[in-house]
Amino acid sequence: MAMAEATSIHAPEKVEKSKGYWSGVGHRLVRDPLTMFCLAVIAALILSAVFAPYLGLADPYKGSMIARLKPIGAPGYPLGTDEQGRDMLARLIYGGRLTLFIGLMPVVIAFFAGSILGITAGYVGGLTNTIIMRTVDVFFAFPSVLLAIAISGALGAGIVNSLVSLTIVFIPPITRVAEAVTSGVRKLDYIDAARASGASAWTVIRVHVIGNVLSPIFVYATSLTSVCMILAAGLSFLGIGVRPPEPEWGLMLNTLRSVIYVNPWLSALPGVMIFVTSLCLNLLSDGLRSAMNVRD
Amino acid sequence: MLSYLIRRILLVLPVAFGVSVICFLLVQIAPGDPLTAIMPIDATAEEQAAMRAAYGLDKPLPVQYAIWIGNLFQGDMGKSIASGRPVAAEVFGAVKNSLLLAVSAAVIAFPIGIFLGFLAGYFRDTWIDRAVTALSITGVSVPNYWLGIVLVIIFSVNLGWLPSMGAGPGGSQSWAWDWAHMRHLLLPAVTLAVVPIGIVSRTVRALAGDILSQDFVDALYAKGMSRADVLRHVARNAAATALSVMGLQLGYLLGGSILIETVFNWPGSGFLLSNAIFQRDLPLLQGTILILALFFVAMNLIVDVVQAAIDPRIQRT
Amino acid sequence: MPKFLKGAVAIATAVALSCATMANAQGVLRVGMTAADIPLTTGQTDQGGEGMRFMGYTVYDSLIEWDLSSADKPSVLIPGLATEWSVGEDELTWTFTLREGVTFHDGSPLTAEVIVWNFDKLLDDTAEQYDPRQSAQGKSRIPAVASYEAVDDLTLTITTKVPDATLPYQLAWILMSSKANWEAMDKDWEQVAMAPSGTGPWKLESVVPRERAELVPNAEYWDETRIPKLDKMVLIPLPEPNARAAALLSGQVDWIEAPAPDTIPAMTGNGFVISSNAYPHNWTWHLSRLEGSPWNDIRVRKAANMAIDRESMMPLLGGLMVPAKGFLPPSSQWFGTPTFDPSYDLDAAKALMTEAGFGPDNRLTVKALISPSGSGQMLPLPMNEYIQQSLAEVWIDVEFMVVEWNQMINLWRAGAADEAVDGAQSINFTYFIQDPFTGLIRHLDEGLIAPNGTNWGHYKDPEMQALFEGIKTTFDPVEQTAVLQKTHEKYVNEALFLFVTHDVAPRALSPKVEGFVQAQNWYQNFSSISMAE
Repeated sequence: MAMAEATSIHAPEKVEKSKGYWSGVGHRLVRDPLTMFCLAVIAALILSAVFAPYLGLADPYKGSMIARLKPIGAPGYPLGTDEQGRDMLARLIYGGRLTLFIGLMPVVIAFFAGSILGITAGYVGGLTNTIIMRTVDVFFAFPSVLLAIAISGALGAGIVNSLVSLTIVFIPPITRVAEAVTSGVRKLDYIDAARASGASAWTVIRVHVIGNVLSPIFVYATSLTSVCMILAAGLSFLGIGVRPPEPEWGLMLNTLRSVIYVNPWLSALPGVMIFVTSLCLNLLSDGLRSAMNVRD
Repeated sequence: MLSYLIRRILLVLPVAFGVSVICFLLVQIAPGDPLTAIMPIDATAEEQAAMRAAYGLDKPLPVQYAIWIGNLFQGDMGKSIASGRPVAAEVFGAVKNSLLLAVSAAVIAFPIGIFLGFLAGYFRDTWIDRAVTALSITGVSVPNYWLGIVLVIIFSVNLGWLPSMGAGPGGSQSWAWDWAHMRHLLLPAVTLAVVPIGIVSRTVRALAGDILSQDFVDALYAKGMSRADVLRHVARNAAATALSVMGLQLGYLLGGSILIETVFNWPGSGFLLSNAIFQRDLPLLQGTILILALFFVAMNLIVDVVQAAIDPRIQRT
Repeated sequence: MPKFLKGAVAIATAVALSCATMANAQGVLRVGMTAADIPLTTGQTDQGGEGMRFMGYTVYDSLIEWDLSSADKPSVLIPGLATEWSVGEDELTWTFTLREGVTFHDGSPLTAEVIVWNFDKLLDDTAEQYDPRQSAQGKSRIPAVASYEAVDDLTLTITTKVPDATLPYQLAWILMSSKANWEAMDKDWEQVAMAPSGTGPWKLESVVPRERAELVPNAEYWDETRIPKLDKMVLIPLPEPNARAAALLSGQVDWIEAPAPDTIPAMTGNGFVISSNAYPHNWTWHLSRLEGSPWNDIRVRKAANMAIDRESMMPLLGGLMVPAKGFLPPSSQWFGTPTFDPSYDLDAAKALMTEAGFGPDNRLTVKALISPSGSGQMLPLPMNEYIQQSLAEVWIDVEFMVVEWNQMINLWRAGAADEAVDGAQSINFTYFIQDPFTGLIRHLDEGLIAPNGTNWGHYKDPEMQALFEGIKTTFDPVEQTAVLQKTHEKYVNEALFLFVTHDVAPRALSPKVEGFVQAQNWYQNFSSISMAE
């Protein structure tokens, strides 16, 4: 998916970021209404998912045979009910918990793991680099969707299995970007100067390298979140992600498929949620990229 | 160029080895007994053991790997547990159908993506640019498996214009390039094309925009070159990068069509893979993934080599 | 009319015409199956009941077959390739007279020697024709068979290990493939799979693995009433219920198996016909009878049965269910006249629970294994959730252990005492209950206690054992039926399972499909079908 395009991210030409840089980023972000809007949507989704129990919603697990498949706007059910008579509004909001968790967590973990691996490989170079990067190459040989489905398919359905498979999918691309950026920074003169001045390797990495490489890696990672979301929901849609009866958008999309003839709008709702979230994540990532002046 | 080619091909060997190890291990991490799915549920323990021995699943791991890899080199990928047919025949038949779908999607997606991207890059910061950008962001954000379902409802069930499933009135073996068969291809190919349209147009927009804004374009204009000449220059400069993105996209289309193939019952590798997963047909799962991954590796290799041929600077890195 | 509009109209007309010609293909029935692959074509089929239905009794015959001609009564055994059979004085040796003049699709004659060859294909792993795949499907179906012998061309004897009057039912599983064809195919079952030969009413014309199989009539079939009227029957595997529904609604198939309940209104609304009938299938909770299981108390078992309002499950299943009154469907010839009625009666259920020492302040907790999917499981999650809610009314709190279907099969084989079931005292399982063995004996026979057999709950009862013995040693069909009824009465009167519902094998048919009679059986007769213009 969208992953391929950004692997050629360039090392920043501008180094040594000061406070002024970050406040500049902040200013640019605030003045970008579309990005701020998307940020607000994502924040609202996350907050409502986290605080779902306090929103006075119906029980997302409790169904009723007589209240099955109520249409959107039915009295007492603002977004209707699903095939088991469970409140759709509650299930969609509660569904955000697992969907966002499984959609975002792998990228977060992969961001840390990939950064550590990539920065190490890029900075240390030599054999370490070879071992790390050749291993990464092997995983890169699998298209992301295929790798996620293969691992999840072999492990079987389950939340932990989905997290594991998606994390494995996203570590290699992040490692590759981190390594490329770090190697680029390392070649710059002032790092040599810092080394020559007797600073320890750790200090050099901490002060000079990390400061300069994290933002492009971060921007790249944010561009993966939407892919990860769609993929995570796709696993559940296939039946190898989250297990029923947990509310999760991909799984809801799957179980509501047979309702599409009876109540198409209802069955479209989980798909709309996935779409809107992934759209906002993409726009947010684009906004961040231009605010942080990362070239691609 | 030749030395680059050799170096690049040598690099592929360890990757291919790694891929085979991962594919082999995939089966080992799978919980449960792969033979469960095919035995009648009343089968006795003794009957199950006989079956396990028949599939070589009673041997130690390294031995199984050695046998597996040895057979691989002879073109034998084992037998499907669920169907008893040779995995190689099943996978290659399915990959052929997937390729048909992936290439069709690419044929739809690449020209549209390039055209839109070029338009947006050329008219940067105009309403055209914004419209194309919105379109491409939508393309990469839409869950295509959901889009596929919606298209089936509209075009197959409600309008009755296009079939909802399968690879033609007589199945994939009687495939022909006539309307009766191509109408089966249309919905899945369009659905699959949506994501690459978004990605290709974004890439081309960035390339065209960047190059157009660079000083050398001004210099070209200053030299008195016509608009058309400038465009041609820009296109050549962008070609290398665009090609690599499209090459990778073709690989992703092939490996990533599993969800679409499931929605449309398209008899390709993705459909095979999902069947293999649900029947816990591990030899088939292994074989399908291996072939798709190796195809992807080959695709990457070709892309790199072509890219290096177009833009010789790349050979140095 | 502007030029481009004309073009558009022309294209639209062409599209409409091509749709119409496809849907009208005369005398061809296209079936969407639930299986993910074409069932094994070499003889003994896989893919469970569906495999036997579409690739078993179509292309092949067995010695003794099920009568599929009536929709009104439970089907019984009728002569197939054997015209008559009888058991000797020793109650072990059976003699079969084969039908004269039967030939395989390849033209070779059916003889007793070929039947023996077929048994060896399944049972003798030293035989040249031994096929592990067919054996895996067939061997466990004929546990009684000890040996077999061809006496002459048309006479066969089969000897059983112990007296077993259920042998005819066992033999109804075993399908006969052509020896001559196997020899012609280089003695390679893989080649046979692409061009098999049986004696059945249909010939397999072509097969594309995972995509389609085409069957054409066998005009020389020995039973003239069962020579197919159709020109062709096409089988298409469509495991995904919504893909099946879309294929039917868009006219790509004429018949689908097991339409999802929620897609049925869309089908009937568009003129499609839903065919259904009772058949020997049940959806139950199999109960553990190990020491310490709360289900050992008959009052708890009866109370649980009476706590479920089965009629209220109807809307969930689109009305396509038969509420259970026992283990076998009420229409079964072996149902008998049990005295216990498990119908909904909350007050009586509460009274029984009180008697057993439970109440609102002293609730009972039971653990149940369920799977979110699985063949024949209908809609397991909502149905089990409904049961959970119902049992809570009589102070039984159900804790679910949700596992994948394949894992579920393993746990079912392992039995209630296995560590892996983690103390669960109940398992939600659906059963094929078409004959005395699969219908009654295998679930509660003390010789079949899991993991050595299919008695999941470790049930042991001398009276039941004597009844099972009676079934096997009563060779007179009428008397045997009486014993079977008595056995089922005991099943119900002692509430040995949580009886919930029976599936009705729904299938959705295009209005063009004519002449189909849905038998009360897992298998069906497709010969009477024709397609209207």
